[in-house]
Amino acid sequence: MSEKLFKIISKVMNVNYENITDESNPSTIPSWTSFNGYVLLYELESNFNVKFSIDEAMDVKNIADIKRHLKNHGVNLND
Amino acid sequence: MDNEESLSKYILDSEKLEINNFNKKIKVAFLSSFTINGLSESLKVKCSKKQISCNPYVAGYNQYNQEILDKKSGLYSFSPDITFLILDTRSIFGDLFHFPYSVTKSERENFVNQKITEIINLITKFNETSDSKLVITNLSLPHYSPHGIAETKTNYSFHDAIIDFNKKLKEKLLNINSAYVFDFFKFIIKHGENNVFNFQNYLFGDIKISLDYIPYLANEFMPYIISFLGLTKKCIVVDLDNTLWGGIVGEDGFDGIRLGPQPPGNAFVEFQKYLKALSQRGILLAINSKNNFDDAIQVIREHPFMILTESDFSCIKINWNNKASNMQEISKELNIGLDSFVFFDDDPINRELIRESMPEITTPELPHDPSLYSEVIQSLHDFSTFQITSEDTNRGQMYLEQKQRTESQNSISDISEFLKKLNLEIEIKKTNSFTIPRISQLTLKTNQFNLTTKRYHEDQIKKFSEDKNILIGCAQIRDKFGDNGITGVFIVEKTNYDEWFLDTFLLSCRVMGREAEKAILYFILNEAKNNNIKRLKAKFIPTKKNKPIENFLPDCQFYEKDGVWIYNLDKPFNMPDFLTLSEE
Repeated sequence: MSEKLFKIISKVMNVNYENITDESNPSTIPSWTSFNGYVLLYELESNFNVKFSIDEAMDVKNIADIKRHLKNHGVNLND
Repeated sequence: MDNEESLSKYILDSEKLEINNFNKKIKVAFLSSFTINGLSESLKVKCSKKQISCNPYVAGYNQYNQEILDKKSGLYSFSPDITFLILDTRSIFGDLFHFPYSVTKSERENFVNQKITEIINLITKFNETSDSKLVITNLSLPHYSPHGIAETKTNYSFHDAIIDFNKKLKEKLLNINSAYVFDFFKFIIKHGENNVFNFQNYLFGDIKISLDYIPYLANEFMPYIISFLGLTKKCIVVDLDNTLWGGIVGEDGFDGIRLGPQPPGNAFVEFQKYLKALSQRGILLAINSKNNFDDAIQVIREHPFMILTESDFSCIKINWNNKASNMQEISKELNIGLDSFVFFDDDPINRELIRESMPEITTPELPHDPSLYSEVIQSLHDFSTFQITSEDTNRGQMYLEQKQRTESQNSISDISEFLKKLNLEIEIKKTNSFTIPRISQLTLKTNQFNLTTKRYHEDQIKKFSEDKNILIGCAQIRDKFGDNGITGVFIVEKTNYDEWFLDTFLLSCRVMGREAEKAILYFILNEAKNNNIKRLKAKFIPTKKNKPIENFLPDCQFYEKDGVWIYNLDKPFNMPDFLTLSEE
């Protein structure tokens, strides 16, 4: 389970933890505006101690994309 | 100590806030040349921590020109109290940010002048349409220049142009009453360009203040809110042992306390200098210390490294009483409400005592390390005012004179004898560029001897002074101990040919109880008579704090009818003969 990741998403997007899936995206989470999407990446950077490139930031379309980029940075999400 | 929460926490917390849950309310508009998401949310949360409801309006991205120029814009229909216009160097300089040397030196100069003219035109337009105060940021100075190390050998360089812009903006705004520069340049000095500006943020979403620093900026905007709502603190009450000096004088002795040029004594010297500077701009200082009076006062009077002197303190309580009852006495002696105090004490038990018994007093947590004391006071943001008036800078002196008056009063048993000996002179002054800021300040800050407690900002006072149907003025009050400065205000509405109405009538607390109000009323009644007015009407609007003025109207022979107090002008009014009234 990507518990830590989902907790951060739940907090930043103000949505229930249970409602978050890998497929969640701006159309399923209404508070996922472009700005909040950026706030989320910012929170992930400080919580997982990584730095996303601008290409990675632009590439994020859903939660699965975030997981992929975190894994590329060596983050173990225990999935 | 100045560690901030993350922006996402502010955004979440702000969503949970009700808009109008506090009595103190403010409407704040944000206009900007770049993305400032999260700023209004941060400010809302910070306001709520001070029991202020902040209702924000955030203009669309880079829409500030349109919002200001269109009289029907959302900005104007929102009708803000304060508007922040946040600009940035890249937007203002456009292509010249990257290519400043593609044009000549004189073209760079012309460019700056043209931009200043554009902004002043915008401000003028804004002032014509809105009563809001306008706070406009100046520009940050990027460390970058295409000239590199040769920048400092370049005449009217890129950096010079930015500095020149800031200088001219400040100069122009000195003459515009309701517009203020927020020193964004200094904000970057405080936090560092490499922290605040981040290329990824900028290129991804035109975010020119990185997300971590948005709450810090909101912090720096708080003094405007505090000052606008008249919540500025008036007095810092300090402890002595381990607060103004290191150690305990009763135990360590005069020679054993830590105070001097070497560490750790220099931390206390530094803190005292900071307090002294605050007192020089009008913040009162008082002492509340559990000590043997003789031990402690000897340090204050004779220690070679004391920066603060006895006369810097408007009230001194050094005794073994509990600190809460000392605070009550300080409040009574200085005649200012408990909510105007900051209590600064190293002892957590004393802080808890004051917090519990007097929650109105601001009691900050203190770090163990005295080298951080100044920062604690700085981070409170509670001492700011839009403008420093001459009354502010002389306040400490005036309170000292007040102390002498009280002492003199204590030695005379008959109050009328005392008043006679005071040689009170009341000079009525008209409104002008010097008195308008002070009149506004008095309406914003005066709580006790204030008939209606109506709060007016400078631009409103200015409008009143231009209105033929309004009589507005102030009173400068002097006595044998000194000049109290402008300490009385009146605003009279000329309702019709028969009647005038007393909209505002107030005296600063430091001149209360000397019947100076009767001279001011005498002046108003005379003016009314000279204009063939039959009646002066007034209302008393009671508040928690204005009990001292409760009996003013009946004492001055006003009679009540249907909640309105009326003075018939065919009745003669006698001013006490010990008062001397004059007009400017």
